Formats: sequence, structure tokens, C-alpha cells
Amino acid sequence: MSADPDEELVRRVGAGDPAAVQTLVARKLPRILSLAARMLGDAAEAEDVAQETFVRIWRHASSWRRGNARFDSWIHRVTLNLCYDRLRRRRELVTDDLPEMVDPAPLPDASEEPRGIEQALQSIAPRQREAIILVYYQEMSNIEAAATLEISVDALESLLARGRRALQMILVRDGVHD
Amino acid sequence: MDARRFAALAEAYGGDLRRWPQAERAAASSFASSETGQAILRHAGTLDAMLDGYGIRHPGKALHDTILRTANRHMVRRRRQRFWWLGLGLAGIGLAGAVAGLALVTVVTPEVQPDHYVLDANATSFGDAGPDTIEEDL
Repeated sequence: MSADPDEELVRRVGAGDPAAVQTLVARKLPRILSLAARMLGDAAEAEDVAQETFVRIWRHASSWRRGNARFDSWIHRVTLNLCYDRLRRRRELVTDDLPEMVDPAPLPDASEEPRGIEQALQSIAPRQREAIILVYYQEMSNIEAAATLEISVDALESLLARGRRALQMILVRDGVHD
Repeated sequence: MDARRFAALAEAYGGDLRRWPQAERAAASSFASSETGQAILRHAGTLDAMLDGYGIRHPGKALHDTILRTANRHMVRRRRQRFWWLGLGLAGIGLAGAVAGLALVTVVTPEVQPDHYVLDANATSFGDAGPDTIEEDL
């Protein structure tokens, strides 16, 4: 297993070094925020998730030991779990608020405008979205992404291919993609 | 690498070979110059261009500062906890020393013998209060 580039920094954070804390925030906040924003499609919620992720980092930094995953993979896993909690809560809210009679009129935000990649990404299965975000936007290698998702590389490739196909279908349907 | 595998990789990782599995990149690179390879990469590249268009704003200063404040609070709390644990540890060591000392004194000091023993539970200060049993009476 190759060396973890964050290991020494995390050790210093665990020892309470303020300079290390600043470096870690500067290094990881953009990554965590972009992951959460693309997973949730909501900037405010993404900021909340980023804050919660860092609270967990501060709590675990002094006892963090590298097991099978790098520190970067671990924080990605933490962020994804927090995103899933929020996605689950959203689903529960929608289910609870579901009206008994369905109104056939179009929704107020439904428009004829193309919806774009941002909305298309929110429309595909969360697991496929996760895989695309890790490999495409977070620039993880296939091995790192598979380790973060705790699946095999073959399963990752299958998620990626299905996710990209689903995106293309949505974009073609919405007239954004040929 | 054949066209089938090349297409499968493009379908999963897109048209940029830098995202492809490292072990297959060299073979893929050779195939990419073929006409079929070019067509596959062009098709995958259309979606890549759209994905590229979805940018996320850099974290603002307010969020950055909030996270640093949380870190600072957490470090202060941890230092306090450490101080309390140290205090508790010292108190524990002191208590253990006292118990060990007491045990040592108990073991080492010889038992003090009283001047006389009460041999009979029926004995009083006036003498034995038990029934008088004379051997002849039995």
C-alpha cells in the first residue's frame, strides 16, 4: 500500500497544532464541499455537511489510524454518509407530505427550459451519482473510488457506465444532448 | 486492446484517458489513434464537456472561518479533558498508594494481644453466668 500523503498532517492535527489545522482545512474543504454540493444539489446543505465532516475530523484526528483506506478516502466516506442521511430525510419528508389526491396540473417549477447537467445528475440513482462524482470531479483513481465506495473495481465500472448512460438519456430527453 | 474493451472503458470513464485505469492506459492510448478509437472518444467526450460545465464555487471565507473556530473550540475542550484526566490519574495513583501503604502496615505490624481473653461467651465481669454444672450432678 502506498504512503498516505495526509498521514503526517493528520497526526499534527491530532496533537493540536493550529498550523496543521489551517493546512488541513485549506487542503480538504474545497474537496469536501464540491463532493457534498454535487451529491445534494444544494449549496447551503453542502456547507452544513462540510462543517459536520470537519467536526468528525477534529473528533477522530488524534485516534485516526490508517487501516485499509487513506485519510482522503475516509473523509469522502464520512461526507457521503452525511449526504445519504440528508437524502434519506428528504425522502421521508416527501413521503410524509404526499397528498392523497394527485394534482394533474404541472408543478410551479416545471418549465420547458432544458434542465442541464446539474439537475440530470440529481435525477440518477445516488450510487451512480456517487461513482461519477468520485472519478470525474474528485479525480480519484478507479482503485481509490472503489475503496471509498467499498465495492470492487468491476462494480465501480458498472456503476459508472450505467450512470453515464442514464445521464445521456435524461439530457437527450430534455433536449440538452444529441 | 480490442474495440469492445475500449468502448467499455470509454462508457465508464469517459473520453479522457487520464481517468482510465492506469494498467490499461498504455494499450488504450495505442488504440485511441485508430478511427474506431477516435469515434468512441468523440462520443464519450460530448458528455464529458457537459460534466465539465458543472462547477462548484470555491468555499467562502465565512465557512472557512466557522470551521476554524469549531476546530479551536474542540482543541480547547480536548486540552481541558486531558488536564482533568491527568488530575484524575494523579488522584488515582495517590489513592492506590494509600491503600497499598495501609495493606503493608496491616501485614508487617504484629497483632497486638489483649491482656486477657474472654474464653466463654457466658462470662461476665462478675464471673461465669452460665449454668453451673457440677460433674457430680450429671
